[in-house]
Amino acid sequence: MTTAMNIIQGHSPALIVVTFLLFSYLMPVLDSWKKNWCATLAIAAHVLALFFTGILAWQVFTTGTVTYHMGNWPPPWGIEFVIDYLAIFMLTTITVVSLLILIFATKDLGHELKAQVSSWYYTLYLLLVGAMIGLAITNDFFNMFVFMEIAAISACGIIAIKEDKECVEASFKYLILSAVGTGCVLLSVAMLYMVTGHLNFTFAAEALVPALELYPNNILVALALFSAGFIVKAALFPLHVWLPDAHSSAPSPSSAILSGLVIKIYAYAYLKLLLKVFPGDIFSMVPIYDMILILASLSIFFGSLFAIVQEDIKRMLAFSSIAQIGYVFLGIGLANQAGLTGGILHIFNHALMKAMLFLSAGAIIYCTGIRNIDQLKGIGAKMPLVMGVFAVGAMSMVGIPTTNGFISKLYLALGTLDAGKPFYLGVILVSSFLNVIYYFPIVINAFFGEPGEEPENDIPVKKLPLEMSIPLVILAAGILFFGIFPRHMLILVERAVAIF
Amino acid sequence: MEDIIIRMISRISVPFIMVFGFYIILHGHLTPGGSFSGGAVLGSSMILFALAFDLEEGHKKLSHKTSTLIETGGASWFVLLGLVGIYAGTGFLANKTGGFPMGVPGELVSGGMIALITLGLGLKVASTVITLFYNLIEGDSHD
Repeated sequence: MTTAMNIIQGHSPALIVVTFLLFSYLMPVLDSWKKNWCATLAIAAHVLALFFTGILAWQVFTTGTVTYHMGNWPPPWGIEFVIDYLAIFMLTTITVVSLLILIFATKDLGHELKAQVSSWYYTLYLLLVGAMIGLAITNDFFNMFVFMEIAAISACGIIAIKEDKECVEASFKYLILSAVGTGCVLLSVAMLYMVTGHLNFTFAAEALVPALELYPNNILVALALFSAGFIVKAALFPLHVWLPDAHSSAPSPSSAILSGLVIKIYAYAYLKLLLKVFPGDIFSMVPIYDMILILASLSIFFGSLFAIVQEDIKRMLAFSSIAQIGYVFLGIGLANQAGLTGGILHIFNHALMKAMLFLSAGAIIYCTGIRNIDQLKGIGAKMPLVMGVFAVGAMSMVGIPTTNGFISKLYLALGTLDAGKPFYLGVILVSSFLNVIYYFPIVINAFFGEPGEEPENDIPVKKLPLEMSIPLVILAAGILFFGIFPRHMLILVERAVAIF
Repeated sequence: MEDIIIRMISRISVPFIMVFGFYIILHGHLTPGGSFSGGAVLGSSMILFALAFDLEEGHKKLSHKTSTLIETGGASWFVLLGLVGIYAGTGFLANKTGGFPMGVPGELVSGGMIALITLGLGLKVASTVITLFYNLIEGDSHD
């Protein structure tokens, strides 16, 4: 038992990724052999990953940064995994939120997918989560590119798996645009490798300081390509065109994980590259932070504006994601202690909120089949639990105190003042009002609106299974808990920010 | 298509193509090529068989279920070989330190786990090529 414990402790960085990959390979075998085991095994993989995350968190909090060398090859040659506070923050977010989405999916998939593909869904889902975890902990450029490709392909898979016309079109659009994004990233990896000779983040960062004097143009082009690639993948405003279709037409659990986690992981990877790899002098050569700030505020503004005019509830939530990813980039662009804390904290907070909102939209579609916002009048009386948690999510989106959305917005606001850019405080305030305009009418109409007399309002409401209501309740409780007691998450985030 | 010449020629050549595919896969650590190119050769031999005879015959030789099993098996084989290193007490995917015999450089038995990995991946690539071919041929009729 102790040897097993030692093995797990020493190797949890590799095992956490390998668990997801191995279980996802096993799913197609189980599909033809023991079909009803697939969901259980997928959940088991997540529980194992949570266990490894717990061990890693304990190691990082007691002994500091954990590194792991693949195949015992030391860093300049081999692939290195580095787990610091920031990675622990991302790992916790990914494993917890994706476990809750998966529990919801076990019931919802039978309703949305054909029976013969439902176990393939778990393959793609586990591959996606494994790739995101790999992206969170890798310290190697090429490894990062490989994980980005795995994540892109499996994300396309979980959109297109529904096999109707809209889904296939949306996932094709996503495939093309994300291929452009990863292509940009690969090209800029090649550029950096050309001037530094290293693929490891730490070694490349060291070599970039003298290289900046010799080859400034190469490094500037690399920075531009990285920015373009990651902004496409993270769907910031001018390059967001793939997101609304992809996130609204996909099955609800897919929308929840894509909006809640997948776009965030690219913002996180971009932040890591900007702060850890590129030398500080480059930011005096090109105003990259100001550009990020402008793009982020455009994203916040136009995302909300587009969301107001949507009629489909999932499409509205998808546009709201564009606005919310703007907050994360706003935190990156402010580049001071409070701003980064707010931006990074918003990754976790928005993962909780948006996953919950998409899942509750999925629950409404599961029970009634309604997608149109106008038809949701009076639905609160029929489905009090779902609309109740939706109301919590809506309040958190607006940033009302006692919800976690307030905490991250507060830190972002403090960050704008610290940076001496009060204009962006105005952006945050205006965006909160815009959020009120499109979220609150839904909640108010659902609880207080009188349903019309048309026959379509008498749709029979299916009962919500326990597997679908429990994740919703846990996520809503999480939103309130981290709104009232934000200290635990803030300690982690502040330590993560302190290393920059 | 009922053509005796094509059938006879492909019946004769398929085993040789397969042997050549396995040759490329197994010499992956010594010569140019490896699991991907060898797997593609191996897969195309099955495609040739299915084209010369018909899809039903091809299915009898290698059904969807078997090719799925080989595909997942190849990937899982890679993971399991990686776990050997952890069991040996060093690191994930450790080769020499994981206890794999290194052999004499340049000979067939050398490079430790590399030959074993390319074998698994070659079979995976072969079955992926076949699955892609079947899916393209059958189109929507399969589901």
